[in-house]
Amino acid sequence: MSSIPASSARAQRPLLERLLIRPREYRHPHAWLAFRMIAGAWNVILGILLLAYKFYWIAWIPLAGAALIFWIAYYVQQHAADRVRELERSRDQVVDDEAARLRRIERDLHDGPQAQMVAVAMKLGLAREKLTGAVTGAAPADVARALELVEAAHRGAKEAITELRELARGIHPSVLDQGLGTALTTLAARSSVPVELVTDLPERPSAATETIAYFCAAELLTNVAKHSGARRATLTVANGAGRLRIRVGDDGGGGARVEAPGGLAGLAERVRTVDGSLQVSSPLGGPTVVTVELPSRV
Amino acid sequence: MRIVIAEDSAVVRAGLTEILADRGHQVAAAVGNAEDLLAAVDEHRPDVTVVDVRMPPGFTDEGLRAAITIRRDHPEVGVLVFSQYIETRYSADLLGAAPGGAAGVGYLLKDRVADVGEFIEALTRVAAGGTALDPEVVTQLLGASRRADGLTTLTAREREVLTLMAEGRSNGAIAARLVVSERAVEKHVANIFSKLGLAPSDADHRRVLAVLRYLGS
Repeated sequence: MSSIPASSARAQRPLLERLLIRPREYRHPHAWLAFRMIAGAWNVILGILLLAYKFYWIAWIPLAGAALIFWIAYYVQQHAADRVRELERSRDQVVDDEAARLRRIERDLHDGPQAQMVAVAMKLGLAREKLTGAVTGAAPADVARALELVEAAHRGAKEAITELRELARGIHPSVLDQGLGTALTTLAARSSVPVELVTDLPERPSAATETIAYFCAAELLTNVAKHSGARRATLTVANGAGRLRIRVGDDGGGGARVEAPGGLAGLAERVRTVDGSLQVSSPLGGPTVVTVELPSRV
Repeated sequence: MRIVIAEDSAVVRAGLTEILADRGHQVAAAVGNAEDLLAAVDEHRPDVTVVDVRMPPGFTDEGLRAAITIRRDHPEVGVLVFSQYIETRYSADLLGAAPGGAAGVGYLLKDRVADVGEFIEALTRVAAGGTALDPEVVTQLLGASRRADGLTTLTAREREVLTLMAEGRSNGAIAARLVVSERAVEKHVANIFSKLGLAPSDADHRRVLAVLRYLGS
């Protein structure tokens, strides 16, 4: 909820709004309204008194002042109300996103590692029967088949381990605890398109910002690999003046657009819910540059 | 035994086919969704089907709906329903679905396949027109039952026998499980029925119904 203007020329909210709607409005809305009403009324009374005593040439000053004060009070009410509505909508979006994310995780677990482990258990169960038969002499020794089953179960177990590891990384990459720079180095290294990474992180942003930034960078790099046809990409991250800027550029075919139901639109929406912004420059024929800005402390 | 498998995960489908083939059973068809299941049952008329509750397209209870349809349209086909989680509501739906009541119905946790012998035994029971309810279901039903006062009149041994009965096992199977004589089991069963005020039933699946009805009332 920063009211400090962004250092770049591009601001999300209009200047007037940023000047007038400050955090103090939310924290003490009634106090400020009362103050403004009293100040306005006081000026009106003063103006009327001046008019009554025929000081026409200065009476307009307090009356104009009263008008300005009342107008500011009205503006603040309107925009504060708008802002609350916007935040409610945002909050609902975040709650829906969370629920959707959890559903996806459950499905991924169910279809991936869980299914693998069921198959592993079945194969080992069968192998156990065959070996029990061989050991107790109750059944003809089918050790070869038992070995086959154990090998297949082993492969399945390794597969499940890989799937679990990927899922865990999708939930929270533990490398992020080392800092955004380190995490992005790994991300850049894993990309199928060579990525040149430049980081300028004199200060660590908050953990929430780092997490969002990481997943933004991951999604943007995936887009580059899947859709751009690029041969090289750049990833720059800079933290300064209360904003964290992530920029992903590629020398591919361009034509990326922010429109629903595309991935970029979803990303833009999610970034907006934390007062961030997303800009795309992607003329047909390339190159493409996507810039995400987030507050350093979400 | 001729079997039709309906399971959306290819990995689990292959595993099930493998176990069943290993025991010499014939897998007439292995499908991945509810529509194909109904078609396969119509075509092959198997002895029993193994059905996953959750299947495409919605991944809610497509398999269960299909299982109930099969019970209604092909009562001679046994239906063994598999689930990742036990939902007691599903067991009520399944058991209530056909005129035979509990006949030829099973509801198991997917975990149970790990014990191949138990799984095949449950499948055979269902194919023969018996019942196979997961111990988890029975535990939940016993726990949730408002008839706790009636159940406390039972001895510990009688509760064990009641649980195994509710799973659909025959007297012989219960005797083997508890390592007692079949005669002893028969006496326990008679005691249970009289203590709970239930009419004695000869058929295994009918007494499952009697017990479940008692627990749910």
